[in-house]
Formats: sequence, C-alpha cells, structure tokens
Amino acid sequence: MGILRLSHVEIRVPDLELATAYYSEVVGLIETAREPERVFMKCWDEHQHHSVVLVYAPTHGLNSFGFKVTDAADLDQYAGRLQAAGVAVQRLEKGEWGPGHGQAIRFDLPSGHRMELVHGMEQVGNMLPRTNPPPRPMNLTGIAPPRLDHLFLTAEEVDTVTGFLREVLDFRLTEQVMGDDGFQIATWLEVSHSSHDIAVITGSNRGLHHFAFWVDDWNDLRSAADACAYHGVHIETNPTRHGVSRGQCLYFFDPCGNRNEMFTGGYWVDPDAEPITWTEAEMGRALFYYDGVVNQKFLTVHT
Amino acid sequence: MGILRLSHVDVAVTDLDLASAYYTEVIGMVLVERTADSAYLKCWDEADHHSLRLTYAPRVGFDLMSFKVEREDDLSQLENAVARYGFPVQRVSRGDSVGQGESIRFETPSGHTMELVHDVRKLGSSLPRVNPQPFLYRPGGEGGLPGIAPPRMDHVLVTAEEVGESTQFYTDVLGFRVTEQLLDGHGHQVGTWMERSHSPHDLAVVSGPNGGLHHFAYWLDDWDHVRDAADILAYNGISVDVGPTRHGITRGSTIYFFDPLGTRNEVFTGGYRPDPDFPMITWTEDNAGRAIFYYEGELNDRFMKVHT
Repeated sequence: MGILRLSHVEIRVPDLELATAYYSEVVGLIETAREPERVFMKCWDEHQHHSVVLVYAPTHGLNSFGFKVTDAADLDQYAGRLQAAGVAVQRLEKGEWGPGHGQAIRFDLPSGHRMELVHGMEQVGNMLPRTNPPPRPMNLTGIAPPRLDHLFLTAEEVDTVTGFLREVLDFRLTEQVMGDDGFQIATWLEVSHSSHDIAVITGSNRGLHHFAFWVDDWNDLRSAADACAYHGVHIETNPTRHGVSRGQCLYFFDPCGNRNEMFTGGYWVDPDAEPITWTEAEMGRALFYYDGVVNQKFLTVHT
Repeated sequence: MGILRLSHVDVAVTDLDLASAYYTEVIGMVLVERTADSAYLKCWDEADHHSLRLTYAPRVGFDLMSFKVEREDDLSQLENAVARYGFPVQRVSRGDSVGQGESIRFETPSGHTMELVHDVRKLGSSLPRVNPQPFLYRPGGEGGLPGIAPPRMDHVLVTAEEVGESTQFYTDVLGFRVTEQLLDGHGHQVGTWMERSHSPHDLAVVSGPNGGLHHFAYWLDDWDHVRDAADILAYNGISVDVGPTRHGITRGSTIYFFDPLGTRNEVFTGGYRPDPDFPMITWTEDNAGRAIFYYEGELNDRFMKVHT
C-alpha cells in the first residue's frame, strides 16, 4: 500500500545530556530507550517506539530519517524499484538498528541524505488508555506536541531530489517555488494527504533545514513561543504564517544548533491535486506570508 | 487503493430556496449549479464540483452519501466486493449525475444508499494555483463568502438498527477502519467511528432507525473558528443543539445545530491522525456521556432522538 508518513529523524548532537534535557523538558518528548551514545524519544500521542533519535557526534545535523510503510511487502517493492534505479539498498532486520526499531531498508537520496523505509516498529502506546480515554494527558511537560510532522532538507539540485522522490518513491508534489531560470528553488511533497511530509530547498547536500512537530492550532504556537522564551531558547521566527502550505509556524534552535519548527494548519489534498506554484518574485510571501521577505539566516543556516 | 474520503451528501429539503439561502448565507458554501429541483454546493477550498446536493421533496430526509475512490479501477473492485456480499450494485453512467462521471450505488445493510465515485468534475478551489494567498479573503463579505465559510466537508454520521452488522459491512467489504467504538452494557456496539483518510472518522454509525441521517459535518481549522461559527449561528437565529464543546470520541471540538428544515449540521475541528494499525479505542456504557460530550458528561434527549 506504500509509504504512509514520516516515522522518525536521527539527529546528531555534540552534547547528549544537554540535548536530551532540552527535548524532554522544553519540547516535551518522552524518553523510551537510552544507550551510551543514543537516546530514543517520542511525542505523547505517538504509538510507535521513537520519532526522534538523538545520537552523540562531534557535530550537529541529520544522520538519517525514516518513513513508515503500510505493509512489510512495501519494503521489497521499494527495494526493487530503488535497485532498478541504480540505488544501493541496505536491509535491516527488526531491532537490528536499535531498540524497538522495525524491519527497514536504507539508501541514499541523490542529495546524499540517508533515508530509510521502516515497518513494524514496536508499538508502545500513547499516554492515554484505550478505554474511555480523556482527550489529552494532564501531566505533560514543555510544549508537548502530539506528533512529529515533517522534515525540510537542503540540496544542491532540488529538481533532482524532487524527481527522485516522485518517480521512485511515489511522493506527490503539492507546492514549488520556481526560479526565474526555470529551476525549482524549493519543493514540498506529501504521501499522507497533508500539505507536506517532506520539503527540499536549495542549499548544501545532506543538509537539514529543520524538522517540525505538529501542534493543534495557532493558540498552541503562542504557548510554544512562551515556553521557548521562558527557557531561553533561541527563537528565530515568531509565530507567523506560511504562504506555502498555508500553515502557521514557529522556528527555533535546539541548544546544539539544529532548527526545530512547531507547525499547524494547512490543508488536505487529494492525490490528483494540481500543484501550486510560487514565482521567485513572490518567494518572500511563499515562506513568510506576513513579512513578505525571508531573512538571510533562514536561507543560509542549516545543519 | 480504495476509498479516499467523503465526496458529497444528498439531502431532501421541503423548501429549496430557504435551504439554498441558509447553506450559502449562513454556512457560506458556494452555489455551483441550480436545476429545477436541486442545488449543488461546495466549500471554498474544495476543488471538486460539489460536496452537498439539496433536492426538493415533500419531506426532509437523507438521499445518499457518496465517497470518493482513489482510482478508476477501485470502482469495479468494490462493485465486486459488494456483489459478493450479496447486495445488488447499480452502475450510474456518465452524464446521469450532475458534475460527475460514472459511479456505483448500492444499499448498505442499514438501508442507506451509498455511492462510490472517482471521476468528479474539477472546478478548482477559490484560490489561484500560482502565488495563492493562504486564506480566504473576505472584505466585508464583498467578493468573498458570508457566513461560517468552512474550507471543506468532513464526515457523516448515520443511524442504523444493527450497528455491529453495518460496521462489519463497512470494514470487511469497503475497507473502513474502526478508530473508536461505544459499547452497551452487554458488549454490543451502539456506535462506531470509521476512517479511510487517516482522520478520526469519515463515517460513523450510531443506534437508531435504518436509513437515518444524524448529521453531516464541516471541517473548521481550529477552536477560534468554532467560536466564530457560534457567533454567526447565534446572529442568524439558528437553533443550536449542543456546543461549542469537546467530544471524548475523536477528541474533536464541535457545535451541533439545525438547518431551517431540520437537518442536523456540525462544525468540527481537532482530532488525531491514526495510522492503519491504530489500536482501536473503546468507550463503555457508563462513560457514554463523556464519550459524546466530554465537558457535559451527559447526552441530551434531542441529540439521542432527533435525526432525519
């Protein structure tokens, strides 16, 4: 049945203790497993074992990211298609990569990003009972987003990565910023009928622009900004609106320099929807609709 | 790949002009097409031809619920599945329904007419495809939409004498997945919530007469929009049934109200995004009040008994 949604991100941090404290106390994730050099975490409403994995490394950035597939057979099907496209595929047995992890295939995108498709990750349950559950837990810490939402990569050739995601992995383009030279400056793609599960913007290969958590509405973005300010977190962009995706957002940095986003809104899209195009002249509004300009830090800082 | 989402609901109204005025001026849908006996309407962010059909009749009632399938060949696959279950399936030819191509229709075990369609005429949403503003701009209603203006239709809740049997049909034959169920003291299902679109529900069934419509619901973006909707309903003298409040089931935030002819409408937001392997949630009879209205903790008689 194919690729379902973003499953997890594996983030490099030079200070594992500091990063763990930030992601548990400020972001409000729940720790599910710990190794000497890795910490596995999830959002409160997620059933699966982990959606954020922090890994000790001398630098910051993205080690790998995974998408969940519906059926185990999807792994074979995509492995076949990747190999037919000349891409080397590594297979991982259930639990081989880490605690709670499922069966997976790993490969590199044309931009050098390490991507994984995973099935059968351990289900550890959300924070609520399955019988007569209240609508939310009452003992959450920090921002406490219910789930991971999407991932934003940088790549030297956005067209090439976008073409690969569409042709080999069946992602669907929802929006694009077109340069005056006719090349894609940035693209947004989905598999889950949301405005985007992954996006790519012009920049360094293998780069991470940000990963984003879902919050339920605009009021939650204000609360998230309050929590960031209270904890001295570096806020990059105040609560504002995207032109692309129509979503509302808040950007900030973890203490190791990885950019985080809290995101809400957007739309639901049918598989046959016609993509939306933004012209280079309107790129400011495409990214930040109220400001109409993109600040240099947003365009140049990535990990 | 099967059923994608709710496509449209067809309801019978005793006063087509009054109903059209309500759905355009108070709800804020777009009137797409009007024939001698029917009006076709869509929400501003919907690209497809219509999500609501109003048809004049001497009684108020529920004619049909239509779901969209992802691919053309899903129609023949699901046609076979329904036929194997022992229910006759009717093919509706291109040109026989306004705004859409070929579809299949059949009766569900609870006597509801259900339609599946793939080919729907695309009218486009109210925004351009190049550099669109990220919201519907409504300068004093001029050139924009009045009323609540929900971006899209969301789900439908129907009544059935045998909820368990109906649910089995929707899951086993049509591929719906149950996200939540409400059980009576004997462990029988008295309500089920089912999805195809990775939302808490696209279709729900509760105990009641066969063929009945409890309500259909519009999506709103957030709780602020739910408050605005309550303001607009009150201003227009619309009969509010319940809310604004919160559901235990789906976790959504909601208002229920009636159109001027007696069909129940809902505005809905919130909820969660279940995977296909989502572990089902169960509500027990002693928590039925909180299941439906989490803040009140109890159901009103009107909510339990009035349907169309």
